[in-house]
Amino acid sequence: MKIRDWLDDRAGWRAVLHGALHEPVLGGASFAYVFGSVLFFLLLLQMTTGLLLAFYYSPSASDAWASVAYLEDQVTLGWLIRGLHHHGASAMVIVAGLHLLQVAVWGAYKKPRELNWVTGVILLGLLLAFALTGYLLPWDQTGYWATKVATGIAGSTPVMGDQLREAVQGGNEYGNLTLTRFFALHVLVLPALTVGLVAVHLALFRRHGVTPHWWRRGDELERRVQPFWPDQLARDMTAMAVAFALLLVWVWHAGGARLDAPADPSSAFDARPEWYFRALFQLLKYFSGSLETIAALGAPVVVGGALLALPVIDRGPDRSPRRRIVPLALLGVGVIATVVLTGLSYRSDAADAGLGKRMARAEARAAQARALAKKNGVPPAGGTAVFQTAPFWRARAIWARDCEHCHAGEKRKGPVIAAGYNSRPWLRAFLVEPSADAYYGRTKLAKTDKAMEPVEQTGRDLDALVELVYAESGAPDVDAALVARGAELFEQVCSDCHEREPGVASDPGPNFAHRGRPDFFASFIADASAPIFFGERNEMPKFAADLSEDDRRELAAWLVWLRDARPEDVAALGEP
Amino acid sequence: MASSSSSDDPPATTRRRFLKIATCSVGCGLGAAIAVPAVGYLLYPVGRRLVTTGDDPIDAIAADRIVAGAPPVRVPLVAAAQRDAWTTVRDVPLGAAWLRRTDGGELVALSAVCPHLGCAVGWDDGGKIFKCPCHESAFAVDGARMAGPAERGLDPLPLTVADGRIRITWVRYKTGGSRREPG
Repeated sequence: MKIRDWLDDRAGWRAVLHGALHEPVLGGASFAYVFGSVLFFLLLLQMTTGLLLAFYYSPSASDAWASVAYLEDQVTLGWLIRGLHHHGASAMVIVAGLHLLQVAVWGAYKKPRELNWVTGVILLGLLLAFALTGYLLPWDQTGYWATKVATGIAGSTPVMGDQLREAVQGGNEYGNLTLTRFFALHVLVLPALTVGLVAVHLALFRRHGVTPHWWRRGDELERRVQPFWPDQLARDMTAMAVAFALLLVWVWHAGGARLDAPADPSSAFDARPEWYFRALFQLLKYFSGSLETIAALGAPVVVGGALLALPVIDRGPDRSPRRRIVPLALLGVGVIATVVLTGLSYRSDAADAGLGKRMARAEARAAQARALAKKNGVPPAGGTAVFQTAPFWRARAIWARDCEHCHAGEKRKGPVIAAGYNSRPWLRAFLVEPSADAYYGRTKLAKTDKAMEPVEQTGRDLDALVELVYAESGAPDVDAALVARGAELFEQVCSDCHEREPGVASDPGPNFAHRGRPDFFASFIADASAPIFFGERNEMPKFAADLSEDDRRELAAWLVWLRDARPEDVAALGEP
Repeated sequence: MASSSSSDDPPATTRRRFLKIATCSVGCGLGAAIAVPAVGYLLYPVGRRLVTTGDDPIDAIAADRIVAGAPPVRVPLVAAAQRDAWTTVRDVPLGAAWLRRTDGGELVALSAVCPHLGCAVGWDDGGKIFKCPCHESAFAVDGARMAGPAERGLDPLPLTVADGRIRITWVRYKTGGSRREPG
């Protein structure tokens, strides 16, 4: 008790607390007044979760995505904190919208509360600025491309567009300076402005009190007065608890906040803004050229300006909605237009079947990136480099570029190369029918009488020949007795066309010494027309000049791996 | 329904009392609902190894470069890969070792981290001693403590020789104190 008295004597906290809590609420406490308090609570929640996020977030182009993926997938409850921050922003937009509509319908912007309204509208603008700057920070595909659109709009400003864009994005291109700028705005500048304006907004609110229903007369209000504490605060606290519970359910249901694959400037991505910018996004579809600029920059200016000017335009003392048909009708039109445009935007997306597919692919890529980041960490080159940590990443990228069109799919010209390549079943089917469609059936050679004849052996003899070729690959599980039997059969059946002494030229068929080993593949890929391989019958391009020794070795390792892989193992690697 | 605020009215007083307690309880509940996950989230790094390098010995130098009787040789120890929270970096310098060969032909590696407060010790070829530039601790060529505030000698590092190359296992010991404990 003595400490409290001492503190009160020195700091005067009792008077401050008394002033804050013992505010008379004219007309009595009401649930109608909770919106501002809920908004204030959500603001505190955003500040808390934002501060927590800053403990793990790194604002650099090479680290941002990796740090967010880390906090999402590894830090205790990181997904929850980020989910609360992300969806809390949406909740703030909703509650701010309700707050604004209520104040508008109540006519609470009228004298003497014009400045309450003006500061409130500016705070709404700050809220949207928070959303715009925060969207980029994870440096993922959605944030990157959606923000590109936003800075593109800034760049289309007449006269000083380029300068404006460069000022916003920090130079000629997106990079570290874009992130540090957006980060500084999002966590330092905007919060400082918001805290200052909220203080003014609250002080003004305290000065003028709540705005009661327009149908209640002054003397009626005077007769029923309740204190803010506890009567109104109990209602506010109830509403805050409900809002928080709803937000938790929302975050839980959504599984936290979305994190797309790392930003990739070389990719194509369907950029979509947050839902509250969808109306503006849709509006831009109806304009082109300079009209688009006017719409993109003009619409927010007109709407914001009209809102700011409302207390000046509608100055009559009567707060009854019936006497304020025109301003309320305009507001109604604005709300309906926003809802309709937003609905149209989502409907056109839903009708776009291709978009659904692209989104599904983007999600798979995001999942792959996050799984790789969790398992291997992200190389210092930055987010997209995480894909390079995937097994055989380089080999599969080369494969997709140089090999796939001849060795997979309907238009191929050579044998199919896929999971199980050079396994025993693969070799057996090959020996039985070398010119089958999946083998050499598509080559020019297969259409001549010089193609390899099917092996006539069956049963254990066929097993022996398969084992002989299989053993060349260096596989560990070789049956030596079968190989010995195969070697005898080789002399009778195969040696007229094939050699199996390493390095010996072989004609007409290739030498299959070490067939299926890395060095075999590396030299085969370099030049399949070498005398030890297909010689003049070769139909495969030479890659000695196009692919480095290292690249060919990477490819070779991948081909060796395929031998024991199942199709689902290959699918699990994802797209290169 | 209470019509006006009258604190003498018993039902109103009871009701306000209830409201005050309920409001405080809900408020505390809300605070706890945010604070509890926040504490778990903030303490995630405690007790976890978030900066890791493989435990494999690090290739340092050819064994024949270290000869008996010559001054100790300083070799940087560079890890092939280091996982630092979300990043995996290649070729990361971890620290340095002083290598020498005893007259008996045995190879010895000493951590260059001063066991006092962690500065990098250097070799003073005039005095034939290791010297710490920060607080002037001095150590004999075999690492034994000679003078200064350090409470123990230089920390030896495990070493193997394979294919003519010296491989050293990097250990960062806790600084301070006379006991040698991995940090």
